[in-house]
Amino acid sequence: MAKNMELHVDEFNIAHLKMNDVENKNIFSNDFIRGFLAAMDDLEAKYKPHAMILSGLDSVFCAGAEKDTLIDLSNGVIDVKDLLMSERLVNAEYPIIAAMEGHAMGGGLVLALCSDIVIAARESRYGAVFMNMGFTPGMGTTTLLQGLMGDFVANEMMYTGKRFKGSELLNKGTNINYILPKKDVMPKALDIALQISEKNVKSVYLLKYTLSSKKKKLLIDARLQEDMMHKLSFAYPETKDIINSFYAD
Amino acid sequence: MTKEKIIEVISQNIIENLDDLENETIDPMKSMKDYGANSLDMIEVVSCSMRELNIKVPRAELADIETIDQLADKFLAFAEA
Repeated sequence: MAKNMELHVDEFNIAHLKMNDVENKNIFSNDFIRGFLAAMDDLEAKYKPHAMILSGLDSVFCAGAEKDTLIDLSNGVIDVKDLLMSERLVNAEYPIIAAMEGHAMGGGLVLALCSDIVIAARESRYGAVFMNMGFTPGMGTTTLLQGLMGDFVANEMMYTGKRFKGSELLNKGTNINYILPKKDVMPKALDIALQISEKNVKSVYLLKYTLSSKKKKLLIDARLQEDMMHKLSFAYPETKDIINSFYAD
Repeated sequence: MTKEKIIEVISQNIIENLDDLENETIDPMKSMKDYGANSLDMIEVVSCSMRELNIKVPRAELADIETIDQLADKFLAFAEA
């Protein structure tokens, strides 16, 4: 197991996958994506979990793409590895609970969109920040964000790139299952997972298969549109400068 | 634009963007961190304030700022430039 991921399956047959790249704060480096996919391979090779709780660091659930990848894209080097993570989650046979104690930005938020149940923290921020960097949203955001946030809040998030505070989203009335004080996020995730663990695992898998078909289609639709928009928007000459200024410290 | 006006705008945005500060008076000599802001809260306060004041400060210029007062000075410099 790569050190950027922690995976274990507990006595209730609940898988716990923690994205734990402390050094890089859970950005999509190549190592991170490899580690994530390897952890899911490992889980599925050895177990048939009732459910999986996907969590991140206390401060950052997942921060999305790294600058180098975006610059590569703006140079015409096409790299779609991050999409493998969306697909992997959507195609999982078991339900996934995203327990977002920390912030989730861009592709990091998409990991929650590809989950089945989502818990956010009042104190943390959540944003579809793609347009802040001059290019259009990716990884399935354009078709999946509406399901979690509602059509019009999703529009606002994508057009403005604003990083909404959990407490702000609570007032907006989204479809996020729970928006709780950070310390209550993991206990709530565990409670939901325990309820699922009481069900017949074979029926849980059947239900997941049915419920996930819509999302699988949405992700395929997104991919066609988003790839085309990325080819255009990453090629705009100004995009590289906007990316560089966005990541300036 | 006066420095007092800038501090007023920043303070208002701190109160709006952070929890449980409704009755608090913001001390400009303090850092936003003293009021419980995380890094993304600070980015949000800064970008909301810049929009309201109609000024643009490049992010690189903001790296060394520690207090609200220093942020107001930086905004003032860009407002007058």
